Amino acid sequence: MTDRVILTIGTKKGVFVADAAKPRRSFALRGPFGPGVPVYSTLIDTRGTPRLYASSCNPFFGMKVLRSTDLGKSFTETKSAPAFPKEDGRALANIWSLETGGGKKDLWCGVEPASLFKSHDGGDSWDLVPGISNHEHARKWQPGNGGLCMHTIILDGNRVHLGISTGGHYLSEDGGETFRASNQGVGAGFAPDPYPEFGQCVHKIARHDDAPGRLYMQNHGGWADWTGPGGPRPDIGVLRSDDYGRTWRSIAKGLPSDFGFPIVVHPQDADTVYVMPLEGATRTCPGGAPAVWRSENGGESWSRLARGLPKKQSYFTVLRDAMDIDRLKVPALYFGTTTGQLWIGREGGEQWDCLFDSLPPIHNVKVAVV
Amino acid sequence: MGAAPVIAIHIPGPLRAYCAGASQLSMSAHSVRAALEELQRTQPALYRNVCDETGAVRRHLNVFVNSDNVRDLDGVDTTLTPGDVVTFLPAVSGG
Repeated sequence: MTDRVILTIGTKKGVFVADAAKPRRSFALRGPFGPGVPVYSTLIDTRGTPRLYASSCNPFFGMKVLRSTDLGKSFTETKSAPAFPKEDGRALANIWSLETGGGKKDLWCGVEPASLFKSHDGGDSWDLVPGISNHEHARKWQPGNGGLCMHTIILDGNRVHLGISTGGHYLSEDGGETFRASNQGVGAGFAPDPYPEFGQCVHKIARHDDAPGRLYMQNHGGWADWTGPGGPRPDIGVLRSDDYGRTWRSIAKGLPSDFGFPIVVHPQDADTVYVMPLEGATRTCPGGAPAVWRSENGGESWSRLARGLPKKQSYFTVLRDAMDIDRLKVPALYFGTTTGQLWIGREGGEQWDCLFDSLPPIHNVKVAVV
Repeated sequence: MGAAPVIAIHIPGPLRAYCAGASQLSMSAHSVRAALEELQRTQPALYRNVCDETGAVRRHLNVFVNSDNVRDLDGVDTTLTPGDVVTFLPAVSGG
């Protein structure tokens, strides 16, 4: 079978799947699956026969995990979704992240209220991961505007990095048995203490296999002008770590805003990283002119990529999981907007085209070549 | 307490896939709580759509006994009488 580029698009009204041949000239759209129900997370599992997953977060009837074994021609519910033990007292409110684990059928799942679950059978059964879900900090985390969500799960050998809004970055170095807050240098703008031990509003974290120890973070920025207790805290929004997330430093200088949600690393170059700056106060494109910003030197400097994007009067938001990049030799970026457009940035973001312009509000975009 | 009254559970369309397509289930239950417990025992997939893992009725679902919302009665402790119809309906909300 010829390689296909597969996109999963989680929206406010279900999940869509788009696919194209490798030149990516045009994409065919299928769906919605789980129609009418918000989807905050999708996963394209390329281990063995590809499987697509989507979290179907029904505010009326509860959470489901959808699975497709035919590249998104159909989806069915897995046998169960993550659920807290009855005696725990918490109830699942949303599913925010799905990632592959170490074992062939292992999956990890981050949820709201911020907790972690693990499946060993491709999503048919789930176990709470107590090391973080019952962490001594867990009942002290506060929900951000999107809810108290565990949105980032990064596995790196025996290390597990988690992003929690608002909890911060948590690191395990024993395969997920135990976790500790690891936020030195990660600022918070909404508390008098600009650098608390935990409680930061981390938006997204990314890494690359070729740069061991390095992590990039889009944190909740937009606090350069704060004049209250603790003083201004400029440039806390875009950060980098070179020691597996133990300490972090700002790489926001040169960006039009340090506020944003997604952060994405180039598949072949660990020094190339992409963000989508937004105005902190409105969460919309600065000046109504959307642009992705790219650094090709690990965050030392940034350049604007906007060819083909609207030049004015565009006030959409790109959410934390709504930008991804494929792994082809000359990769394309993809982002979805809260106004329902799906954009492709060809040649690493040099040229932008709108693939679909009237989808429901987009929460999540993932891409894989299968 | 005597024999539990026979009541009906009306199943809204989106939930029928979780009970083999049935639009109505019949059971014996003294109260809404007892009816939910019976659902948990006999229709666990359906039950998970109605109640969360703490056992509470999901926040955006309304439970009616005949035409009355149990919120205006005794909640899940509302007693049932023979022939009552219990209905689960999504609250009108969202966009």
